Amino acid sequence: MNCTQAQDRFSELLDQRHAAPASGDVRTHLASCPNCRKEFAALKRTLSALDALPVLPPSPRLRANFYAMLEEEINSAACARGAERRRQRITTWRWILSPIAACGLLALGFLAGQRHMPGPVTNPLPTANDTQQELAELRQKVDSMSQLVGYSLQQQNSAGQRLQSIFATNTRQAPDQQVIAQLINALALDPSVNVRLAALETLYAYADQDTVRAGVLASLVREPNPLVQVSMIDFLAAARDPGAAQAFESIARDEQLDRAVRDAASRALVQL
Amino acid sequence: MATAVPQTDHDLMLAVRDGELNALGELFERHHGQLYGYLARSTGDRLAAEDIAQTVFQRMLKYRHTYRGDGSFTAWMYHLARRCAADYFRKSQAGPAHMDPADLQDYADDRPHAGEYATVRDDHALLHRALIQLDREDREVLLLSRFQKLSFAEISSILECSIGAAKVRAHRAVRTLRDLYFQLQKEPPA
Repeated sequence: MNCTQAQDRFSELLDQRHAAPASGDVRTHLASCPNCRKEFAALKRTLSALDALPVLPPSPRLRANFYAMLEEEINSAACARGAERRRQRITTWRWILSPIAACGLLALGFLAGQRHMPGPVTNPLPTANDTQQELAELRQKVDSMSQLVGYSLQQQNSAGQRLQSIFATNTRQAPDQQVIAQLINALALDPSVNVRLAALETLYAYADQDTVRAGVLASLVREPNPLVQVSMIDFLAAARDPGAAQAFESIARDEQLDRAVRDAASRALVQL
Repeated sequence: MATAVPQTDHDLMLAVRDGELNALGELFERHHGQLYGYLARSTGDRLAAEDIAQTVFQRMLKYRHTYRGDGSFTAWMYHLARRCAADYFRKSQAGPAHMDPADLQDYADDRPHAGEYATVRDDHALLHRALIQLDREDREVLLLSRFQKLSFAEISSILECSIGAAKVRAHRAVRTLRDLYFQLQKEPPA
């Protein structure tokens, strides 16, 4: 072992806490090397002096300050734990109460809506009379509809056939109301002028009936042909229907109508 | 039923970490003397050493959650002390710390008797001067190894270096201290 190797091991040899494994070699070198021995002795003296330095005791202030600090920290931690517990309690109650409050608000809103919303519209129960009236109206509508359908079905025949049907009614001794109604329908609805005129001619036999005169008057208003219009005016004038006076006045003043029609209306008014 | 009192430093610090702050009192009683001695020799200022020791225990509380179960309490404590001392040195660069004369009565007169221990007193004073003149890192490793009796494994942990580097630094520090000490001995007294 040379001097450098020995001096590198001095720190281990001087550390009395550990038994240096190779201290024997270092001690052998020290015994044979005066320079290293001197170096080692100087280091040992320095460290011995260092170890002999008195222990420096702290003042009582350190202990007093420490325990004051510790107490303050313990109190602070206790406050923090209390705050944390309160926060946890609040959080727990919030979890519990929030759904309850939501349900309460929902129920409140539902009740408020029930109170302020207008009630369902209640239809009064129909009485027996109302039912009868409605049934009569419905029956009338069905009858009118059936008449119209029936007459429309007749339209599928030729105009000649329809004329023969009208002429056939003349052969009857006492035509019923249904036949008269069909004649009035033909007067009002048939597209053939000849058929309408024939129907009007046939109705002369029944001019004393109010229904017939009313039917002719209603057909007059919607009649587009001047020839048929004049015939209808003559019919009503001959029947002396006072209800037709107003219609005649209107026709007489209507400049858009055919002159012959207006003249006929004027003559009829004179007759009435 | 009374709970068993933890005995080791490590167990006590684990208790502190888990919220049993009173356990720090026992650790203080066990270590504050050694810690104060280390800081007093490291700074050369007894008042500052007390303040730093107080700060070390404050940081133990503040950073108790960072204490790891696999570490050494002593190494952790000196690690904190070293950082606190570094803060002190950084701040004290602006000017020397002054001691309040009112605090002087708190300190026992630890100096040898002037008449009987003059030589001893001189040796201690010279060695103390030599220590203060050491580089701060060299002084730290010497104090930790000679005064605090820490192993080089613990010192390497505190200084955040390898065990070999800690040994080399300690050996260099002893040599430097010897040179300074002998040089001061040769100087004529002022």
